[in-house]
Amino acid sequence: MIKQTSLRKKNNHVVWKQELGSWLVMLPGILLFVFFIWEPLLEAIRLSLYEANGMRIVRFVGLDNYRSVLTQPDFLPALQNTFSYLIWSLIIGFLIPIFLAIFIQESRCGKSLYRTAVYLPNIVPSLATVFLWRYIFRSDGTGALNMLLSVFGVAPQDWLNNVSRVIPLIVIAMTWKGAGATTLLYLAGLQSIDPELFEAAIIDGANVKQRIFHITVPQIYNLARTLLILQVISVFQILYEPLVMTNGGPNNASVSLMQLVFRYAFEKYDYSRASAVSVLISIALIALTLFYNKVNKEKDM
Amino acid sequence: MKKLIAIMLTLCLCMTTCLAFAETTLKLGIYPEDVDTAAIESHETYISIFNETYPDVALERAQYKYATDTFVPLAEAGTLPTIFETWFTEPQKLIKGEFVADVTDQMEARGWLEKMNPSIRTLLSSDDGRLYGVPRDGYALGLMINVEVFEDAGLVDENGVPLYPKTWEELAEVSVKIKEATGSAGLCLLAKDNAGGWHFSNIAWCFGAVFQVQGEDGKWTAQLNTPEVVAAMEYVKDLKWKYDVLTSDPTSEDWGTGFTQLGTGAAAMYIAANDAVSQPTDNNGLAVDKLMMAGIPAGPAGAYSLFGGTPYMLSKTATAEEIDAALNYLEIMGKAPVLTETAKAGLAEDARYRKDNGIPVINEFPVWADDELVAARREVVAEYSNVDPALFDPYFDAVASEGNLKMEEPQITQDMYALLTNVLQAVVTDEAAAIQTLLDEADANFQTMLDEQINK
Repeated sequence: MIKQTSLRKKNNHVVWKQELGSWLVMLPGILLFVFFIWEPLLEAIRLSLYEANGMRIVRFVGLDNYRSVLTQPDFLPALQNTFSYLIWSLIIGFLIPIFLAIFIQESRCGKSLYRTAVYLPNIVPSLATVFLWRYIFRSDGTGALNMLLSVFGVAPQDWLNNVSRVIPLIVIAMTWKGAGATTLLYLAGLQSIDPELFEAAIIDGANVKQRIFHITVPQIYNLARTLLILQVISVFQILYEPLVMTNGGPNNASVSLMQLVFRYAFEKYDYSRASAVSVLISIALIALTLFYNKVNKEKDM
Repeated sequence: MKKLIAIMLTLCLCMTTCLAFAETTLKLGIYPEDVDTAAIESHETYISIFNETYPDVALERAQYKYATDTFVPLAEAGTLPTIFETWFTEPQKLIKGEFVADVTDQMEARGWLEKMNPSIRTLLSSDDGRLYGVPRDGYALGLMINVEVFEDAGLVDENGVPLYPKTWEELAEVSVKIKEATGSAGLCLLAKDNAGGWHFSNIAWCFGAVFQVQGEDGKWTAQLNTPEVVAAMEYVKDLKWKYDVLTSDPTSEDWGTGFTQLGTGAAAMYIAANDAVSQPTDNNGLAVDKLMMAGIPAGPAGAYSLFGGTPYMLSKTATAEEIDAALNYLEIMGKAPVLTETAKAGLAEDARYRKDNGIPVINEFPVWADDELVAARREVVAEYSNVDPALFDPYFDAVASEGNLKMEEPQITQDMYALLTNVLQAVVTDEAAAIQTLLDEADANFQTMLDEQINK
């Protein structure tokens, strides 16, 4: 009995010793996380419950800040727009990388050319991309798109100035910028599919369409699921594209929730309300993720 | 023995450090940016005068350009420079957020307080009357005019002075002529950010608008949907859709791009203030003698010019000595109501800088009521004059006329501008926009904000 205990103790000691190394390796990372992510995160939640001058807390006000941001006239348009961005980005942006990846995978020649080509927009600095697209979508005779159309005798169109077009257009710009990176992820996923599956299918006489729907799609299904939720999370926090392209206009038609955070923090120096909106955004994202996972689990069963 | 020496040395070190800390340090946030060599030259002159006059104050060149993303971190960390410049939109926000120092006592001791223009003093004071800033310039909005465009359109009198519009109706007519003759826009209207609402509020005053009123119970009522505001908005709508004389996309125009449009001749007229004459000229290449300023055109309810002041403000952490040092520096720059020899030299230095850089040397909008100072300013302006006074007289006559100057609407003004800008965006992008409905909505929203933030 005594022998056993001491043995366990000794084992514990050894385990601890072995783990120490791992902890030491992780330590800098953990410290950075604590300092730059977790502490600010908790601080934001705390700040959202207080009245503050700058970042100096004045007094506890409970949910007053939340009430205030929810009744703020820009909140409802911002919420609607954020979901609108989300839906448009799923319509436009979700399938394009999959198509591109399959296209590149299936093409006989020029594979590396295509691979480089789809990734190129990613190399352009984000703000430059946004300015570029703003120039393309200018609503007068000086916009690149309108100039192009004028060659075919089409009169200048409203682009970003049109309430119903502005969000899809911003999403197109985002997709142009971001699709390449996602395509590469899908390509990696496609390349990890066992070629024997395709060989067997070909021997069985399956055509391209059947191969895609019965082998490719099921094989990248899990990857697509992860990328979908990542896309939802990132698009929900859309900020600088509308900020630069339209400043949320016209008449709030493209303002996003994150832009409200930006306005509270950097235009009004109201960090309490900025934190309140941020907390609301993260609650919405957690809810979306949980809902999505639940639906997926049911599907898996 | 060695130990003793070591202790003595440490003590000495401590004392010198303490002494160094006791010395007043003026961190000069208003020192110009590296690229602005001409302005640096001016400030080096001020600094050498300052060092001679106040040898016990250490001066640090701590150039800081106010920006909303850097300000709060600097203020919270206590590393703001002692004195810095900020925008005319900011004082109330910075005062309410307790980011800036109370300078009432120092200003009072110097006798500057009573010399300050009372309206501008209100703009820089908290609700209980304490003062938190020193005005740099006063400004009043007027109509800036690109003389070249008017010349091209043949709209000048025998002396070459543009036949500028005196009413908003005339502005529309003149704009149509300009557009026909030159292809340039008549007016650059802003609709990108809050500056749109800011300019619009001035236009609407001329149509009789009063955007907010305080009842007897002290509560504020929004009046964004009155017939007067609607009339002003209809006028803007006509400029876009009936006369088509605005720049091609007002929703992409802000304060800065407006000056580019004016300076490069893409627009003939722009609503702007006297303190920004360097923008179209020095920054955007318009020849110094091709800029004109007139008063804001009149509407059915008269002509009004929105006026205010651009302030210097001081860091919350500044000590009384540091505040005094900063005020001494302003005195040397000629920005104080004190006419000393150094202040005279400062004024001349500023005028020289403007003349050398193709910026109109014109009278300032007086923020201090000090006859001597005003006279000295006029003298310097006359000496360094580089523009035809006939091009600026219409402006100065307008703002000097009785009842022309009007303060900004008082409560949560930036929020009000944001709401008005939204309506402007709808109006200039959609020919079918229902103005009354849009303004009703803006009015309801503004009332909600007033109730939540002011009428508590």
